[in-house]
Amino acid sequence: MSSLQALQQEMLQAVLADATPRLRELRGDERANAATRLDIYRHGYRIRLRDALAVEYPGLSLMAGKRLPALLENYVEAHPSGHYNIRWHGAGLAAFLDYGRPWREKPELADMARLDWAISTVFDAPDEPALAVSDMAAVPPSAWGELVLEPQPHLQILSTPYNVEAFRRAADQELMRPRLRHYSKMRHLLIWRQELTVRYRSVDSDELAVLTDAIAGKPFAALCECLAQYHGEDEAMSRMATLLHGWVDSGLLRSCNYPEV
Amino acid sequence: MNKDNSTRQLPYLGFGLGLRVEHYETLLENPGPVEWLEVISENYMIPGGRPLVWLEKFRERFPLVMHGVSMSIGSTDPLDQGYLKRLAALAKRIEPKWVSDHLCWTGVQGVNLHDLMPLPYTEEALTHVVDRVRRVQDALGRRILLENVSSYITYVDSQLSEWDFLAAIAERADCLILLDINNIYVSAHNHGFSPLAYLDGIPASRVQQFHLAGHEHGEQLIIDTHDAPIVSPVWDLYVEAVRRYGHVSTMIERDDHIPPLEELLVELDQARRLALPLLQAAA
Repeated sequence: MSSLQALQQEMLQAVLADATPRLRELRGDERANAATRLDIYRHGYRIRLRDALAVEYPGLSLMAGKRLPALLENYVEAHPSGHYNIRWHGAGLAAFLDYGRPWREKPELADMARLDWAISTVFDAPDEPALAVSDMAAVPPSAWGELVLEPQPHLQILSTPYNVEAFRRAADQELMRPRLRHYSKMRHLLIWRQELTVRYRSVDSDELAVLTDAIAGKPFAALCECLAQYHGEDEAMSRMATLLHGWVDSGLLRSCNYPEV
Repeated sequence: MNKDNSTRQLPYLGFGLGLRVEHYETLLENPGPVEWLEVISENYMIPGGRPLVWLEKFRERFPLVMHGVSMSIGSTDPLDQGYLKRLAALAKRIEPKWVSDHLCWTGVQGVNLHDLMPLPYTEEALTHVVDRVRRVQDALGRRILLENVSSYITYVDSQLSEWDFLAAIAERADCLILLDINNIYVSAHNHGFSPLAYLDGIPASRVQQFHLAGHEHGEQLIIDTHDAPIVSPVWDLYVEAVRRYGHVSTMIERDDHIPPLEELLVELDQARRLALPLLQAAA
């Protein structure tokens, strides 16, 4: 190991350590001793990571309230950053809240973190085209049965029994902290980007089922069969038309494919 | 005033600003006297979305330069090839006038401290950095600029002055220098050296860009916050730098507590008022 490598490893450990170590490699002077100087880096490291996390997790910040500093401090101490972009340090926060004490006793925090992170990653996901009404109109009637709808690749689905989206909305719009609600049934949220705008909304179980089938690449006929299980065959087509209209309107579909007729 | 600009070979851009989200709309609607922009490379090393759309708009209106914070040129970890590929891809996309980063290390053993950690000023560190600068320049297909960082610690092993270290790297690796005037002032105070000796020790032919910024006085040391107006002694040092290096593209770099654009334009005007008479007199 080179002396430069040894020095950098020692400095790294000194910055990460719980308490300020005495390093023989550093020199102080009449202005400030070595420990005071080292503490500037130790303090700055923690502040920077906490600040970046708070920016990346506005919903969680609102939900955690006065517990936020302790939460972020726990995470920063447990998880050094491994990515060149400070923003990606936050990638493991939801998993940390799932398993770390005492946070796992409040599962709404991990779900909130998952929504914040989904929004963050969808924000700068690769640009994709969006299926237009004219694309749908061009589908020959005989091709509809085998038509495959392709949802946006960046589309994420979050299942949670909590009203996490209310916290995110309140944080973005600087509204009062909403009351936490715990529903008896699991709820499902879609997170996607329409052109440059990130969108999220809850979906009913029939829409979730048919969208999951679409993501799996099942053809249009199978999607209609899926809806028939919820609404009966008579109502399925009309429900499908409503969903399809909404998906196209909100840029949720990337493209559609069908065999040449 | 040293007029030897032969090594620079990059354009003089005049007076610019660091591009910040808070100024996106104002800058496009009414750029005022802003002649060029510096963008933080990592903010745009992303797959897609709104930031890149904004960047394209600014690219149409302003000369751009790229300034990174994560190259970690001094680290003893291997160069991050994924990072370099993304950096090169962004440079290819926006065709900046130049690409810069800091003379520092930001992490080791796969951990990133997200800070500009100073290097020991030793022959070993010098050799190490020169080799990596050459490899980065090969990967990017262009010379890079390295910026002096503010520092608070002194390594017992340092054998050179900071300016001798920076100058030697620039000469041996054939790279250019981004001088942050505020950082010289901050480090000079914190380590007790003469900022003028620093300026005298830097070869004028290597200086391509200036940063001007503000800082915060701690109890014992000056903390480089880049979040406040430029103070009078830093302006004085800027004048000395212009006297020595001549036409060097200058910009105001505010990283936090971002004020309205007008406030930064006042500082940019002050930079012009101080520099232009010296440049004209030397012409």
